[in-house]
Amino acid sequence: MLDFSRTWLPFLYLYGVGGIAFIVGMILILRTKALNKEIAHHRIWLKVLYFGFGFYITLHAVFILLALGSS
Amino acid sequence: MDLAVGTNLDRFVIIVYFVIVMGFGAYFGKYSKTTSDYFFGGRRFSWWLITISIVATGIGSHSFVKYSTKAYQYGFSSTMTYMNDWFFMPLFMFGWLPIIYYTRVGSIPEYFEKRFNKTARSLATLMILVYMIGYIAIQFLTLATALYRIYGIPLMATVVIIAVATTIYMHFGGQTSVIFTDLFQGLILIFSGLLLFFLGLNYLADHTALGGLQAFWQNLTPDQKLPLAHFNRPPDFNFVGIFWQDGIAGSVGFLFLNQGLIMRFMAARSVNEGRKAAAFNVLLVLPISAIVVSNAGWIGRAIANAVPGALPAGMEGNDVFVAVTNVVSSPGVFGFIIAALCAALMSTADTLVNASSAIIVNDVYRPLAKKKTNDKEQLKIARFTSIGVKVIAVILVPFFNSFDSIYEAHGWFHSTFTPPLVVAVFLGIFWKRFTTPAVIATFVLGAALMILGQFFPELVKPFSHGIELRPGRGYYYIGALYNIAVCAGVGVIVSLFTDPEPKEKLKGLTLSDVNLLREIFKGSKPNDRLGEGVTVLWKLIDSEEDIVCFSKHEMDKMAAEVGDLVYVSDSRKWLGGLKSIHSVYGEPHEEEGIVYISEEQLGHGQFVKDKSLIAEKEM
Repeated sequence: MLDFSRTWLPFLYLYGVGGIAFIVGMILILRTKALNKEIAHHRIWLKVLYFGFGFYITLHAVFILLALGSS
Repeated sequence: MDLAVGTNLDRFVIIVYFVIVMGFGAYFGKYSKTTSDYFFGGRRFSWWLITISIVATGIGSHSFVKYSTKAYQYGFSSTMTYMNDWFFMPLFMFGWLPIIYYTRVGSIPEYFEKRFNKTARSLATLMILVYMIGYIAIQFLTLATALYRIYGIPLMATVVIIAVATTIYMHFGGQTSVIFTDLFQGLILIFSGLLLFFLGLNYLADHTALGGLQAFWQNLTPDQKLPLAHFNRPPDFNFVGIFWQDGIAGSVGFLFLNQGLIMRFMAARSVNEGRKAAAFNVLLVLPISAIVVSNAGWIGRAIANAVPGALPAGMEGNDVFVAVTNVVSSPGVFGFIIAALCAALMSTADTLVNASSAIIVNDVYRPLAKKKTNDKEQLKIARFTSIGVKVIAVILVPFFNSFDSIYEAHGWFHSTFTPPLVVAVFLGIFWKRFTTPAVIATFVLGAALMILGQFFPELVKPFSHGIELRPGRGYYYIGALYNIAVCAGVGVIVSLFTDPEPKEKLKGLTLSDVNLLREIFKGSKPNDRLGEGVTVLWKLIDSEEDIVCFSKHEMDKMAAEVGDLVYVSDSRKWLGGLKSIHSVYGEPHEEEGIVYISEEQLGHGQFVKDKSLIAEKEM
């Protein structure tokens, strides 16, 4: 039986708690200008960082949907 | 279970592989002339070389064995630990990486002395060494578990043989050998992991009426296809425990504290190349690695469902990888795949051994040495230290062999040894208010509270998220959350009750000063004017100074001034920076297309006569 604790709860916890770590990290590097949006190649890095987060959310969500679709 | 595997051809292939890698590593020894070369490869390599080398470091032999076991038992959720590393990338790429690169620290404990004091450095040294040597012991145990079944040599004798083999190329080559053998081994292990998947699909196609991929998919249950484990069940494999043990403690431990990985990034030719290597590794290489290390277990599960009796009855968890490989591959190919397991071990162990000897030389020998020793003597000590590290690791193997599985041994190890270091390094980098008494209390009092948690599991229960307590074994993975909480609690409380550190002492050591780091590194204001690279030939001049001289026109093209930093490398990109140097621009001359270099720079860069060089301004 694939209940909520087996399917979406781990996903929500992963990107909820992990998401907080990611967002806090982004705020810190932007506020301290360690990642400086005025520098051209830093702007590319900013996109890469957001893309990476989106990439993993999508990957996990797709696999959960595929598993549920095969049940 | 009596698992008789492998033929003489397989045994031959494995031995040939060992010999090739040892020869390959020993060859690159000629590029290690100083301790900087030995430990950091001369800070000269391209991102792609660092990336593949990180793959080989990240995938240990324990990875194949432990993930195959969990993949066989639980399906795709075995990939969890490979797919949860992105959360800390902003802080790593734009915080920790520039700090360690530009402050030129030789080791993580050295950072602790700069940020705090000598006592903090000593405590960090002790904890990091325990962490790394234990890690090496787990690697030896895993490979020995696989090889002793093939060669029929007793487990501990196999461990010793493996330790000797890795010593041979490490001893002479240091970090450059490690990086180049890892390039070779990284490619081999990815290829053979994917080859095993392909062979498994073929086997399923041959034994069912379906195509390979279709048979694979249909013979896994929906539960086995889910990418994340059940939230809090069973106690030995649940999502929330593994999230805190691996996703938090493990990821921070690996990215921020694994001296081996840090040395890889410090071998990059620049911080930006290090960022590229990190991003490419986590976004592309880790998902592929997850397939490489787990697929034997998935294939094994599909075979067990589709072809009952094909796998040995009563197969033990740690035997899944070898048993499945034996079933789906032919003689010779089996030997090749097991050789990849050897690749995984050697490439992880060599990195950790090199890193451990870097710490011993940098953080134990140098501070304690009564007389100043020269670089040559230190290099000699580094080489012999690497042998000592292996001896201790071999002695520790029986302890780790006493756990139920390698996965559990590794999980216990991570959740127990990383939290005080994780908290100390994290608060140290990102919170200026974190004080020296607080970091010492984190190590000492935090560790005491962690030990209490081991003996009194009821202390861990409020953090357990409903995970069942196993009598006599406590809470395995979720113990990491308790350990992080008590260490962080101690660190924050003691900081708030002690005086802040003087501003001057923290200069360039915390996230808020990252922008100052480039200036500190260069020793003057960075020159960020946009220029372009130039292609030149080299000419020897008699000079003792570490400068290189270009024509006025080429200096203008590079937008460079006298005193700026320059990177000069062989123009053949595929060398990945192996033949290169960092230097400083000297006064310009009149000869177009020529760079003047000294004898010492020629020896260090190993430049070839009449082969052109590319020069680029760094800052």
